[in-house]
Amino acid sequence: MTISVYLPLALSLLLAAISRIVVARTAPTRAVVFVVAAVLCAAAATWGLLLLSATLLGYTSLVADEALERGVQLEDPVPKLIGFTATGLLLVGAIRVARVLRARRATLRELRAVCRSCGEGELAVVALDAPHAFAVPGRPGRILVTRGLLAALDGDERRVVLAHERAHLIHRHHWLRAATELCAAVNPLLIPVREAVGFLVERGADEHAAMITGSRELVARALTKAALASRAEPATPEWAAALTFARCGVSARVAALHCEPPRPEPLVPSGVLALGVATAVAAVQATIAFYQLVYWLWPD
Amino acid sequence: MPGSSRMPSRRAAGELEAEVLAALWAAEGPLTAAQVRQAVGGELAYNTVQTILVRLCEKGLIDRVADGRRHEYFPVKGAEELAAEQMQALLSRGRDRQAVLQRFVTSLSAEDAQTLRAILRRRP
Repeated sequence: MTISVYLPLALSLLLAAISRIVVARTAPTRAVVFVVAAVLCAAAATWGLLLLSATLLGYTSLVADEALERGVQLEDPVPKLIGFTATGLLLVGAIRVARVLRARRATLRELRAVCRSCGEGELAVVALDAPHAFAVPGRPGRILVTRGLLAALDGDERRVVLAHERAHLIHRHHWLRAATELCAAVNPLLIPVREAVGFLVERGADEHAAMITGSRELVARALTKAALASRAEPATPEWAAALTFARCGVSARVAALHCEPPRPEPLVPSGVLALGVATAVAAVQATIAFYQLVYWLWPD
Repeated sequence: MPGSSRMPSRRAAGELEAEVLAALWAAEGPLTAAQVRQAVGGELAYNTVQTILVRLCEKGLIDRVADGRRHEYFPVKGAEELAAEQMQALLSRGRDRQAVLQRFVTSLSAEDAQTLRAILRRRP
């Protein structure tokens, strides 16, 4: 088969590398471009693995007998080992996707249960000292915060938190995050893209809060105080810090707020999008190659 | 107040309700309407604060006690313990589940914390 079938994997690596490099300089509104590219990459890579697995069919006695009967010379440029590896990767991917879906569903269910226990209204406050704030998507979406976070901030800073979480709800950021999370589950090469989208989504909410409150300085201060309050909280597990890449953390968001507002730059997004399209083209090419391999099975 | 000219003047009623509720939760004890106005920040009219407090009372989210001629407001803590327990359970779940949570802030490394403290000191 052609090299096209392996191309999506190589392009995934490239997309991941680009994401890491440009994430700090990308305007947050461009997050969706990374999501589209990641989805295309993940879909093309999965399709490629499916095609490679399907070449194993050529080895099954049924197909082999059929070929012998019709006098077709079975040519199989795909080594058996690669076919089995592809099948294995597909299985692992399926398990990872199931785990992500289960975790998402369970977490959302629990978040909504906490909100219900806190009563009606948009804002749900939990009487805990650990400082946390979450946007809980739903109809209607709700904002869940702990008393610890509210107490650590002043009135203006609390407005920042509310505006930030509202931005997540208004712009339906949870869909962008869910999409890239699934992509990274299918194709772990795309994990840096997931981190990049997570960062851009937070940046987008920060910029929205800055627009609402009228001060980027204020947003930076609220973030800083909240982050330092979280650090004082010993209950935070150490590995939670390892979940986010160094350049995608709170400090990077604060640094971005102290710089000029981001200007949408056309070059990076179009480059990222072109990568996504390239993987889709490669997938089509691979499909054609696969068809040429097995077309004799369906005589016209 | 410095920078108040940049403050967008109009805030939707729902947003104000959330802000007032957040201020009452953040406070140590019950607050009078004047204290709420101060705690919320921005420049709200006293009457606006009063209206929102009444509305929050009607919704059962806050309650009030009479202190002389004034009223003092405090958040109603409905299923407070249940909510706290549920939240604590949620936060102690494994890595899979933590990754799903979209947190306001993530944890900091020691180095980052130092940088942020320095920034905070520089810009009071």
